[in-house]
Amino acid sequence: MGTNISQLERDIGSDFPANEHYFGLVNFGNTCYSNSVLQALYFCKPFRDKVLEYKMKNKRSKETLLTCLADLFYSIATQKKKVGSIAPKKFIARLRKEKEEFDNYMQQDAHEFLNFLINHINEIILAERNQGKTKIGQGVAISENIQQNTANNSNSNTTANTDPTWVHEIFQGVLTSETRCLNCETISSKDENFFDLQVDVDQNTSITHCLRCFSNTETLCSDNKFKCDNCCSYQEAQKRMRVKKLPMILALHLKRFKYMEQYNRHIKVSHRVVFPLELRLFNTSDDAVNPDRMYDLTAVVIHCGSNTNRGHYISIVKSHGFWLLFDDDMVDKIEQSAIEDFYGLTSDIQKSSETGYLLFYQSRDAEK
Amino acid sequence: MLKNNQNSRKKMQVSFVIRDAEEKRHKRGVNALQLDHNNGRLFSCGRDAIIRIWNTNSNNMDNSYIQSLEHHNDWVNDIVLCCSGRNLISASCDTTVKVWNAHKGFCMSTLRTHRDYVQALAYAKDREQVASAGLDKQIFLWDVNTLTALTASNNTVTTSSLTGSKHSIYGLAINHSGTIIASGSTENVIRCWDPRTCNRLIKLKGHTENIKSLVISADGSHILSGSSDGTIKLWSVGQQRCLQTIQVHSEGVWCLLVNENFTHVISGSRDKKIFMTEIRNPYNSVCVCEETSPVLNMCYNIDYTGIWTTTWNSDIKMWKLPKTDKLSVKSQENSSNLSLNEQQAVAPFNTTEEKLIKGGAAVEKYVVLNDKRFMVTRDTDQNVAIYDVLKAVRVENLGKVDFDEVVKNRNKMVYVPNWFTVDLKTGMPTIVLGQDEVDCFSAWVSATEAGLGVGQAENGSDPKVNYGSLLLQALLEYWPQPMADIDNDIRGNEYFKVPKHTPILFSEVGGRTGCRLLVRDAAGDTESALLHEAVPSWVADVVIDRNIPRFIKIPFFLLPHPVMVKQDRMKKDRLIANEFIQCRKVCEHVLDKILENPTTTGNGTGVNSSQNNSDTSESSQIPAEDKIELLCNDVVCDPSMDLRTVKHFIWKQSSDLTFYYKTKPNFS
Repeated sequence: MGTNISQLERDIGSDFPANEHYFGLVNFGNTCYSNSVLQALYFCKPFRDKVLEYKMKNKRSKETLLTCLADLFYSIATQKKKVGSIAPKKFIARLRKEKEEFDNYMQQDAHEFLNFLINHINEIILAERNQGKTKIGQGVAISENIQQNTANNSNSNTTANTDPTWVHEIFQGVLTSETRCLNCETISSKDENFFDLQVDVDQNTSITHCLRCFSNTETLCSDNKFKCDNCCSYQEAQKRMRVKKLPMILALHLKRFKYMEQYNRHIKVSHRVVFPLELRLFNTSDDAVNPDRMYDLTAVVIHCGSNTNRGHYISIVKSHGFWLLFDDDMVDKIEQSAIEDFYGLTSDIQKSSETGYLLFYQSRDAEK
Repeated sequence: MLKNNQNSRKKMQVSFVIRDAEEKRHKRGVNALQLDHNNGRLFSCGRDAIIRIWNTNSNNMDNSYIQSLEHHNDWVNDIVLCCSGRNLISASCDTTVKVWNAHKGFCMSTLRTHRDYVQALAYAKDREQVASAGLDKQIFLWDVNTLTALTASNNTVTTSSLTGSKHSIYGLAINHSGTIIASGSTENVIRCWDPRTCNRLIKLKGHTENIKSLVISADGSHILSGSSDGTIKLWSVGQQRCLQTIQVHSEGVWCLLVNENFTHVISGSRDKKIFMTEIRNPYNSVCVCEETSPVLNMCYNIDYTGIWTTTWNSDIKMWKLPKTDKLSVKSQENSSNLSLNEQQAVAPFNTTEEKLIKGGAAVEKYVVLNDKRFMVTRDTDQNVAIYDVLKAVRVENLGKVDFDEVVKNRNKMVYVPNWFTVDLKTGMPTIVLGQDEVDCFSAWVSATEAGLGVGQAENGSDPKVNYGSLLLQALLEYWPQPMADIDNDIRGNEYFKVPKHTPILFSEVGGRTGCRLLVRDAAGDTESALLHEAVPSWVADVVIDRNIPRFIKIPFFLLPHPVMVKQDRMKKDRLIANEFIQCRKVCEHVLDKILENPTTTGNGTGVNSSQNNSDTSESSQIPAEDKIELLCNDVVCDPSMDLRTVKHFIWKQSSDLTFYYKTKPNFS
């Protein structure tokens, strides 16, 4: 370990940024799904800043997953050494208490973990905010995906009455789904919040292609017709999803694990999908708030291996202009050109691959 | 053809429509019109599933109704009159195409070849050929003379199909001589075939949205198309290109009518306007009229001086047409320096219609009351009415009153499980009985409380009745049952009858209809035989075998209230009882089995309906409910409240209902 760390310092050399620490995270038995996501989030500057700010403001309250995360981030940020490794023991212990599914030594899905973590942190903040008024509920699950429309949607937004939290401000975007009945041609639209966009992957394509497909028009037909309020009957309809509010940090989840009926299990799709360093969204709605946001790639969680249950997660992050690879407790500097190794495979032969799985794009206007 | 697939694994459901015996007015929008130019009879097909015939020569349009053609169960989307007005062919969302005797007004046969809504028909006069197309992406060609020759025994018909469309078809046209057929679909492309060979001819690309309306010139050389993109396009078949784009509407163009010489087009749109435009010179265009709703269909009147039109509402109107030569003169004066938009601002040619066939109001909103028997509805004229679903009748018309207020005032604090669903697609309430998420046998109620058991209740017994079972028995009252011996032929139910004109439908869940008949017609030989194949076993079970549907049990805990002196029995008794048991029965159980005879309790089988307990309660002078009080969530339960009502309104949890009992102070 020692030689490795010094190697990193040597690689970075005199350019080593002040007040920056590159610390690996020790694996507690298949906890790389957590380590890789935590590293990616740590290098999403707006998120890191808010977590550290939370640490400063909340002096020793009840232990939550958020206090554990804040302690971990604080501990990395205040290390005397510039490089090294840290054991996120308290965080993992807390995580295992909070969610049954993570209370074991099996490999978990990094996206499920990210989704849980962001939602859970948000609930903690909301609960603490409402503490004065009401007692903390037992973790009311705020599903960011609002239920498919019902006839009288009086309360269309579960969180509409509360002010956005900093988690909302960083990760939350708004999708608008427009449904046009093909009989009466009336358009009904509905907004829903999201913390990440989940896109399908096709062979030899790019993220822009994935996002375009995400917003392709879907026809609701045959057994899946649309119950049109205007027609009082089931009719065919065309539906499409577009982005109405672009988040500060855009998290993209590449749906690389497909359930295959013939194998009765999930198969990894290693298709080559190019993710650019700079990204602009084109699948925005006509009434989008900030359609021109320019995004820069800041972190990628990479899945290595051939299926969900086996395999390994690592992450690459951009820090002060150069790229680093975090593999549990090991940290290496990598060339920007090495990123293309993680796009995926052009051949369809099933084999192990190291492929981008979660992408974190940060809006250029977020860097004050 | 009418044979129902007995081996079908699909679940079946039974539905019926609550309506008047004769419904003279269209209830919802009218999808298509056809005029018999020989005699002025107008055929209109509606979203209320009914085709009506009107006498347009009548001086008073209020008396223009002739008769209804009823056999469809869902929107009738299109009709064509063929064989010089002798036959009518109709296409419906019920996935069937039907052949009618247009003079006598009965259904001759039903074609079940389509697998989804049939949206459009086209008719080649010279060849007596009809084409049908719809959301199953299929186009079928039918020889009308073969169709009209079909009989019950000779009911196989061959059809040719035109393949290639990968999208739902909304528009269809064929020329008189049957040399070219064109389809419009969500592909936004017009596809053409030669109906004689079924070979594909050409594809015409240019529209950016669905194409719902098409007309082909008599010689087959030109096509006019109306699209949801708001434009009308003229196409040359020979050159395979668009010759002209007519942009007079601000929303989707849904119907087109072209004059004999193919020089002028009349177009109806979602924007409620009807325009008449010279095809080769679109600047020469006049707004014929502005309707009150989006325009669905049009046809020429008897002398071609006007058009009959239909919209989303149920009225059918006749408007005068400007003369085509006048149109040109007028436009030459006015429009030479006008832009297209400015020209549209000119007032419509008509301000009021020439004739009006008044439509009726459609039920557009409903709430089923807590008793799950009565339903409050409101129609498009804002009239509120009360329906008795059990007896399949409308019982009260309340007029233009506040809907929510009526619901509030009429809802009682009683809980009865859902046992039917309601569909308003035809503008008349269709009640659906099934065995799915909503089980039609789930509602057991006391006959007395339902106001049914007047004659029977004198001996003090209060029989429980099952709503779904009673209703099915009433619906099939006239069905002569197989091998029933004459003496023991029990029909219907002992409490009530449903109107004999009520249509009953047997259909697959979410799908195709197996058979439709009226309550009174079940006695007929054909219908009776049809029913033997269509009636699902769960219906036959209660109607023929007279089996009693299963009671629905509810588990609950019975605990002594903490204030009770005798606190020796802290054991939780988990009991099970029929969910319609009233609290007073639980009181009796507490009194007889727990307080007076504690040894026999706790076996878990618990309160077992009425008989056991009625003896003991009669012997003692004071009813158990005067001695025992039941509490649930600290609320004292009314003795006449049943268990499911307590669970729904007081307990309000999915976990097992829990009662605390205590003796009343005046009783020790």
